[in-house]
Amino acid sequence: MAKNGGSETIVAKGVRVEGDFVVEGNIIIEGEVRGTINATGDLQIGPEAKVDADIKAENAVIAGEVHGNMRINAKLDMLPSSKFSGDLAAEILSIGAGSQINGTVRMGVEEPAKPARGKRVAAVAAEEETE
Amino acid sequence: MYSYFYDTFLQDRKYERDVALLETRLTDLGIMGKITRLALFRDGLEVIRDEIDEGAQTLVAVGDDNTFRKAIEAVGDTRTVLGYLPMNNKSVFADLLGIPTGVAACDILSARLVQEIDVGEVNGRRFLHALECEASDAVVSCEDSFTLTIPGKASIAIRNLAFPDDAGVTDPTDGRLSLIIRQSHFSLFGKKSELSKLPFKRAHVFTDRHINMFLDGGEKLQAKEFDIRAIPGRLRLITGKGRKF
Repeated sequence: MAKNGGSETIVAKGVRVEGDFVVEGNIIIEGEVRGTINATGDLQIGPEAKVDADIKAENAVIAGEVHGNMRINAKLDMLPSSKFSGDLAAEILSIGAGSQINGTVRMGVEEPAKPARGKRVAAVAAEEETE
Repeated sequence: MYSYFYDTFLQDRKYERDVALLETRLTDLGIMGKITRLALFRDGLEVIRDEIDEGAQTLVAVGDDNTFRKAIEAVGDTRTVLGYLPMNNKSVFADLLGIPTGVAACDILSARLVQEIDVGEVNGRRFLHALECEASDAVVSCEDSFTLTIPGKASIAIRNLAFPDDAGVTDPTDGRLSLIIRQSHFSLFGKKSELSKLPFKRAHVFTDRHINMFLDGGEKLQAKEFDIRAIPGRLRLITGKGRKF
């Protein structure tokens, strides 16, 4: 994972976090998290971790169980032991054999939405009418 | 203007020579100033605060870590620069700040490398190094946005400036404190220690029973609830090049 200049946050096995978990830097989760996770750096979820949260992070390596929506700006690595259910968006996705994903997956860089061709024609026609 | 505070134990004869050498060196370096001797029946904090009110720009605690703690408390929100001349070999602050013991510390003082350092506050009391406690089933609420539940027994430390260890390095200039939780689990393979680490600006620690919270390895606070926050860049300290941050 990419190194981040910020400090590291670790949630060890046995510790439970609830609420809006905003983290500056990287985060490693081995315990339980419920709510939302918003990390400016990289996220690592251990094999015994249980996460029930909407997640935003730069890169992520998942080995445990995650329920919720996940948006990863760069690379998401789903290890063979990982289980995920929810909507997932990542630029690069790597899935290990045995990993379980249930939900929708969106990949690649999102381009800004273009106006539909039909609407453009209608708009030109409206302009001509006003002239 | 330098203002020096000598702790009471320095009146002991065994320190007579060390104090004389110190004063000679300070005079040689041209940084000798007003000397105030703390006494058993005088409130040290009050004495130091009086000096600040009288316009002392640099306060120097001469003694041990207890003397330095008093000076930190007394400086409070003023912009007075704080120096330390440790006279005891066992000084945690001296090691953290890169200050040698005895006469050699005068050169650090003379070099006057001033650093703005964060200070921590717990229930209105200031600390520089760390808070430590043992708690059962503690709950920590951080930044008013999330809570950490720590089931069972745990050792909790809140660090501002500490020696690097398995919990990593703490930066006392980042405007944050580090919450370090250590828990032990027993399994078939023996005892295993788990470490949690979390940087924060403000937190509340709640417990069911009164617990003892130790400030900077010395003073003890007893309560069920602790309000802890980082005060960024509040302390202006003279440090040595060998400091641990």
